[in-house]
Amino acid sequence: MNSLSVLIKRNTKLFFRDKGMFLTSLITPGILLLLYSTFLGNVYKNSFISSMPEGITLSDEILNGVVGGQLLSSILAVSCVTVAVSCNMLMVQDRANGSLNDLMMTPVKRSTLALGYYFATLISTLIICFAAVALGLAYIAFSGWYMSLGDVLWLCLDVLLLVMFGTALSSVINFFLSTQGQIAAVGTIVSSCYGFICGAYMPISQFSPGLQKAVSLLPGTYGTALVRTHSLRGVFGEMERIGVPEKVLDEMETAVDSNLYFFGSKVSVGAMFGVLSATVAVLVGAYVLLNIICKKKNK
Amino acid sequence: MKNVIEIKDLNKSFGDVKAVNGLSFRVKEGELFAFLGVNGAGKSTTINIISGQLAKDSGSVFVGGNDMDVSPDAIKSELGVVFQSSVLDKSLSVRDNLETRAALYGIYGDEFKKRLDELAQMLSFSDLLKRTVGKLSGGQRRRIDIARALIHRPKILILDEPTTGLDPQTRNILWNVINDLRKNEDMTVFLTTHYMEEAADADYVVILNSGRLVAEGTPLELKNKYSGDYVTVYGIDENTAKNMNVPYEKIRDGYRLSVPNTEKATELIVRFPTVFKDYEITKGKMDDVFLAVTGKKLGGGNEQ
Repeated sequence: MNSLSVLIKRNTKLFFRDKGMFLTSLITPGILLLLYSTFLGNVYKNSFISSMPEGITLSDEILNGVVGGQLLSSILAVSCVTVAVSCNMLMVQDRANGSLNDLMMTPVKRSTLALGYYFATLISTLIICFAAVALGLAYIAFSGWYMSLGDVLWLCLDVLLLVMFGTALSSVINFFLSTQGQIAAVGTIVSSCYGFICGAYMPISQFSPGLQKAVSLLPGTYGTALVRTHSLRGVFGEMERIGVPEKVLDEMETAVDSNLYFFGSKVSVGAMFGVLSATVAVLVGAYVLLNIICKKKNK
Repeated sequence: MKNVIEIKDLNKSFGDVKAVNGLSFRVKEGELFAFLGVNGAGKSTTINIISGQLAKDSGSVFVGGNDMDVSPDAIKSELGVVFQSSVLDKSLSVRDNLETRAALYGIYGDEFKKRLDELAQMLSFSDLLKRTVGKLSGGQRRRIDIARALIHRPKILILDEPTTGLDPQTRNILWNVINDLRKNEDMTVFLTTHYMEEAADADYVVILNSGRLVAEGTPLELKNKYSGDYVTVYGIDENTAKNMNVPYEKIRDGYRLSVPNTEKATELIVRFPTVFKDYEITKGKMDDVFLAVTGKKLGGGNEQ
C-alpha cells in the first residue's frame, strides 16, 4: 500500500462517515426527485401529448419512458457535478481544521496529497452516481424500458466522464477555499445554480436565444446532452418504429436537449465527448499547475 | 552536545507585520528547550517555518544538520509535532488515524502494529484504539496527538502548548512520558508553554517578544540576571524589616525581603545576624523573569 492509496482510503472513509458532507451531496438529486414527483413529470408528459401530430397516439409506457429518461438524465447530469463538489469539500475542511498541516508534516509530496483528494472524490462520487444510475434504471424498467445494453453502457461512460469533469472542476474551485463559511457558500451556489445552467431543472431549449448561446459555451452543457441522448435514444427509437414522423421526433429531441446547437450548428455526440474530455484534461492540468505554483511559493 | 536545530537571522512578515524579526538561536541534542512568548510573539510562526509549513522571508534553518532550503523532506522525518489543537480526523477511529499517518512515513503492516503496541502501552490508550477520536475527552485526545507525533520515532518532538486546558493528572502523565522519552531515547523536546513551572524545568529557555529574541539562557542564568532573590524571615516585626533598608512585603508569619542576588542576601544576613534565626532564601521565579524581560505576564493564555 503506498501513500496515495492510503490517502484515498482515508479521504473516502471520511466522506462517507461525515453525515454533513454525505447528506449535503444528496440535496440536489433530492430537489430533482421532488420537482419531478410533484409537477415536472406531469408537465413534460402533457407537453409531449399536446405536441404529437393528430393521428399519432403514444402509449402510457412510451410517455413514462420519456419522462423516466428525462428524470434519470437530469439527476445524473446535475449529481455528477454537485456530488463531486460536496465530496471534494474534504480538501477545504482539512485546510480549515488544520488536518492538512498535519498531513504536510509527513514526507508525502504535495502532488500526492492533491491526487489523494482527486481520486477519493472520484471514487465517492462514482459510488453515489452509479447507485443513482442503478435506481434510475430500475425506475425506468418499471415505468417503460426501451434502452439497449449499448445505451446503458454509453450512459455509464457519460457518467464516468461527467464525474471526472465534476471532480476536476471542484478541485480547481476548492483549491482557493480555506474556511467553513466559504465551503457553505460555494456548496449552496453550486447546488442551486448548476442544475439550471446545465439544463437539468429546465431544458436549455426553453431558455432565451441569448442564454442558450451563453450556456453552449459551458462544457457541462455537453455532459447533460450526452446523458439525455443515451437515456432517451431507446424510447425515441421506439417512437420512430411506431411511425412518429422524423421531423416531429427531431423537434422533440431538440426540446429535451438531446440535440444541442452551438451558435446554430448541431453538435454531434462525438464532439460532445470531445468537449467534455478536453475540459477534464484542461481542468486536471490547471489543478496540477496550481499545486506546483503553490509549492514553489511556499519554498 | 551537538546542535540539532540552528536558526540564523530568521525573518518572516505578514504584510506590514514582522512576525519574526532577525531571530537566531540553537537547540542542543537531547535537551528540553522552552520557547516562551505571549500570543503573537512569533512562536507558532517560527515552529511552522521549522516544520516546513511556512516559507521564511530570509535567514537559515538547519534541523539535524539538514538545510531547510535543500532537504525539507529529511527534516520532516526528524520532527514530530504536537499542534496547539488536535488535528486528527475526528470521525475516524484512533487506530485508523494512526495507521494513516504511519503509512505516510512508510510504516506499514507488522512494523506499524509493533509501534502501535509500544505507543499504546507508553501512553495508556490500548482501550481507546477502536473509539472515534471525536468522542474522546481532551486528555485522551492529547495522548493520541502525542502518539501521532511519535509514530515515526522522530529525533525532535515539538510541543506547541501541549498541556493547555488539561487537568493536572493528564499533565503529569504527559510529562512523565516526555521525560521517559528524553531519558530513554535521547529525544530533543522543543516546548512552547504558558505554564512557567514547565519552563522552569527546561535545560534552556528562549524568550520572544514581538518576533525578537529578548532573553535566552538556562533557567538559573535567567533568574540570576533578570530576577532577584527573596529572603523570607519568620517571626520578626515590621520595624525590624524596615531597619534593614531593603524592599519588603508582609507575609503570614513574617516578612519577605527582596534583594538583587544571593550575594546581597548573604551580606544582609552577615550585617543583621540576630534577625536571621528562622529564614529561607529563594530564587525569583520564571514568571518574574518573563515580566522583567517583556513587561508582560504569561499564564494560561491570559497574557497581560
